[in-house]
Amino acid sequence: MTLTAKVTKHSGLRLFLMTVFGRAYPRMVGMLRERSWMLWEIILPILGVSAYVFIYRAIGAPEIYIGFVVMGGAMTAFWLNVLWSMSSQLYWEKEMGNLSLYIMAPNSMMGILLGMAVGGLFFAGQRALVITIVGSWIFGVSYEVVSYWQLFAVFMLTMVALYGLGMMTSSLFLLLSREAWHLANLAQEPIYLASGFYFPVKNLTFWVAAGASIIPLTMGMDAMRQLVFPDGSSLGFLSVDIEIAILVGLSVLFVVGAKLMLDYMERLAIREGRLTESKR
Amino acid sequence: MDLAVKTQDLSRIYKIRGGKKEEAKELVALDHVSVEIKRGELFGLLGPNGAGKTTLIKILTTLLSPTSGVATVGGIDVAKEPHNVRPIINMVSGGESSGYGLLTVRENLWMFAQFYGIPTKVANERIKELLGIVGLGDRDNTKSSDLSTGLRQKMNIVRGFLTDPEVLFLDEPTLGLDVGASRDVRHFVRGWVDENKGDKTLLLTTHYMVEADELCDRVAIINQGRVLACDTPSRLKRNLQRDAIFKLEVSPLNGAGTGSFEKLAGVRQVTHQAQDGQSILEFILEEEDVLGRVVNTMTNQDIHIFNLEKREATLEDVFVDLVGKSMKEVEGDSDS
Amino acid sequence: MDAQITIPQSRQDNTFQRLVRTFRVSAWLGWQIEANWADPLVFAIYALIKPLASAAIIVVMYGIITQGDFGQPIFAYIFIGNAFYIYVGQVMSGVSWAVIDDREHYRMLKYVYIAPIHIPTYLLGRGVAKFVFASISVFVTLLAGVLFLQIPLDLLQVDWLLFIVSLAIGVNMLALMGLMLGSIVLLLVNHSFGMGEAVAGALYLFSGAIFPLEVLPEWIRWVGFIMPVTYWLELIRRALLPDIAAGFPTLASLSNGQLLGIMLGLTVFFAVAAFLTFNYCDREARERGYIDRTTNY
Repeated sequence: MTLTAKVTKHSGLRLFLMTVFGRAYPRMVGMLRERSWMLWEIILPILGVSAYVFIYRAIGAPEIYIGFVVMGGAMTAFWLNVLWSMSSQLYWEKEMGNLSLYIMAPNSMMGILLGMAVGGLFFAGQRALVITIVGSWIFGVSYEVVSYWQLFAVFMLTMVALYGLGMMTSSLFLLLSREAWHLANLAQEPIYLASGFYFPVKNLTFWVAAGASIIPLTMGMDAMRQLVFPDGSSLGFLSVDIEIAILVGLSVLFVVGAKLMLDYMERLAIREGRLTESKR
Repeated sequence: MDLAVKTQDLSRIYKIRGGKKEEAKELVALDHVSVEIKRGELFGLLGPNGAGKTTLIKILTTLLSPTSGVATVGGIDVAKEPHNVRPIINMVSGGESSGYGLLTVRENLWMFAQFYGIPTKVANERIKELLGIVGLGDRDNTKSSDLSTGLRQKMNIVRGFLTDPEVLFLDEPTLGLDVGASRDVRHFVRGWVDENKGDKTLLLTTHYMVEADELCDRVAIINQGRVLACDTPSRLKRNLQRDAIFKLEVSPLNGAGTGSFEKLAGVRQVTHQAQDGQSILEFILEEEDVLGRVVNTMTNQDIHIFNLEKREATLEDVFVDLVGKSMKEVEGDSDS
Repeated sequence: MDAQITIPQSRQDNTFQRLVRTFRVSAWLGWQIEANWADPLVFAIYALIKPLASAAIIVVMYGIITQGDFGQPIFAYIFIGNAFYIYVGQVMSGVSWAVIDDREHYRMLKYVYIAPIHIPTYLLGRGVAKFVFASISVFVTLLAGVLFLQIPLDLLQVDWLLFIVSLAIGVNMLALMGLMLGSIVLLLVNHSFGMGEAVAGALYLFSGAIFPLEVLPEWIRWVGFIMPVTYWLELIRRALLPDIAAGFPTLASLSNGQLLGIMLGLTVFFAVAAFLTFNYCDREARERGYIDRTTNY
């Protein structure tokens, strides 16, 4: 009988992994269940990327820049996902009444955030992949991979650092409440500009590019462009090895930062009692 | 004594921020609350909106820290060791939805089971059985956004029981439910505590007197952050049994108020409520003989009596006796 | 209780008064939500930083390829088109985002729905604040272009009448397109980051905003010719930079009057389409019970 049955419960690492999977699940099935995402996440972004391709065509740019735009357009998927489905998500969870249930449960909040990240990565990864394939096919982008190993390492490190950043800012944005909306908006076009989504970041001068490197996609895209495009290395900002080292540093910084911010947020939530209540 | 919940001098003060230039005001939500809830008890917190019930639940569920005092659940300090408290508790709040509208009922519940480390197979079995018990057995594959408010609340209640907590907190669990659904929930809640024979503890907050009366082993009456009385419903009422309680339906008082009755010797409390063009007056009298003086006063004031009945004490009367007002009047005061 | 509620005469208004009342209140509400002018951060983000960063992306792209030769007519063509395209994203998203914001964040859409107001007018009103923001952004972007990037804008040469008439028709047209999108959003889940902006980003491709339509492959160019934004941007360029506009042949065969006529016709078409779309989506949303749902996941 359910009412009196003793229930076995896992704890520790097993509970952590179960939490990650549990929170990632809604994002994975949500995407499959609401097909309209294909319009917003695939078709319209491809058209948007195409516009930048035709600007380059209109001013007679070399073909390598077309490949840069396609890659930048694909990577916007991850940036938008981190901004709107990671950074802003705890705020939404609070508004929906889920945040208090997450805090009260024995699971780690890091597990919740990681689950959101894994689900988001799955979601954005598909958008990025389709934009890359379709964009490359339509505009005839050619690739010449220098090192698959390095490419894999750069991509994975970029994602760890990027989603670590998202996990960290989700606590920060929650503390800022509605103001966070504005910050997420602020982090769109200016970051497209500073991180060089549509052109080599090297052209922004050393100090601007170095400053923009705090966003993992800056280094990640620059390294990947050097690794996949013929002559890509001539347009690179730093050498790929240095960029990998920076990405490792950023990954550690943001993941540790995420844990510290989360602990701070939870302490503040419990002390002030306002973060778990909707402020609509 | 094996205590599931214990609070000692528990206080919580909120700082309410005003406009940019205004200084923060302080609101005392809990004022030196001390209660002890035995393991296996179904304990009720009864009080009007804003009495401090939800604040107490938030503290006990580790969502809010107390300003002063100590609270333990299962013997563990909720402020110092929240991580050790969480595996043994769960909470359901009335009038709130939880989970994601795009997921089905079963998926939402499964997700929460994951957060408590319950293996999928076990979780699915429990979900199936619990949904059946609350009458949601045929809705497990419905998206939760397609459920009515009542059904969503039932799903929410299943979420609370699903994780097999040692101490379960139900904050106004029947809020927004219709009469039938509320009855089902009460029946289920009582059954859970009884069948687990002293193993499971349930703390329920409500502002429905009947709910507290019917359901709870013991009740604490709380108002303005203070516990005014704490005992079994029958003992709380018994203290009033020596008094005479009368309900009179009379012609409208029309602004005359109840002052003239309150002044009469032997009248302990009077409450007044306008209804359908009449006035309903409830008197708690020290003895039955006092009623004569009440009736005389009415006759002198040209107030007609349509109906008069003597009745047994209810928890509402206990509340009126303690606070001096009915719960509705208290809520009206805090609204205005 | 025998209470009788009397509705004041002022509340028993006719249809026109109802529309005006709806528009006024929703514009006020949009203003309260969006335009917190007392907060310099909000002002800086929306009116300055975002639009300037957006323009700077194109400036940098152009600068890299041409080694900074900003004196070419194509640059002025791109810059002006891009600057005025800010209205497209802002006004469209202002109207359509109101559906998500009211439904899922403030959970007010259901109350708005049951109030005696005209819902399409309410949604259009919510775009007003964005229009004001967009106007400041456009002004700042143009100013930066004139001061730092050799945009040959001469206030004495501007055909002000053409500019004002084109702008007025164009903004209304964009709001109607936003209404169409907002109507569709009634049936969709929350894809949080600006759907209006996603659509605007996609239409960027076809409207000749940042390159002449001749650059597009011939088989897709027709899309640009059925979009009112194409004619609107051409009119804006002709009003502000007549010499530059004359240098691009896409719509050179059409007079200003013809362009205005086409734009007006397409605007009327979009108005009818927007209201038909709204009626359909509104009916469907109520049929499916979507008015008060929350869909974030």
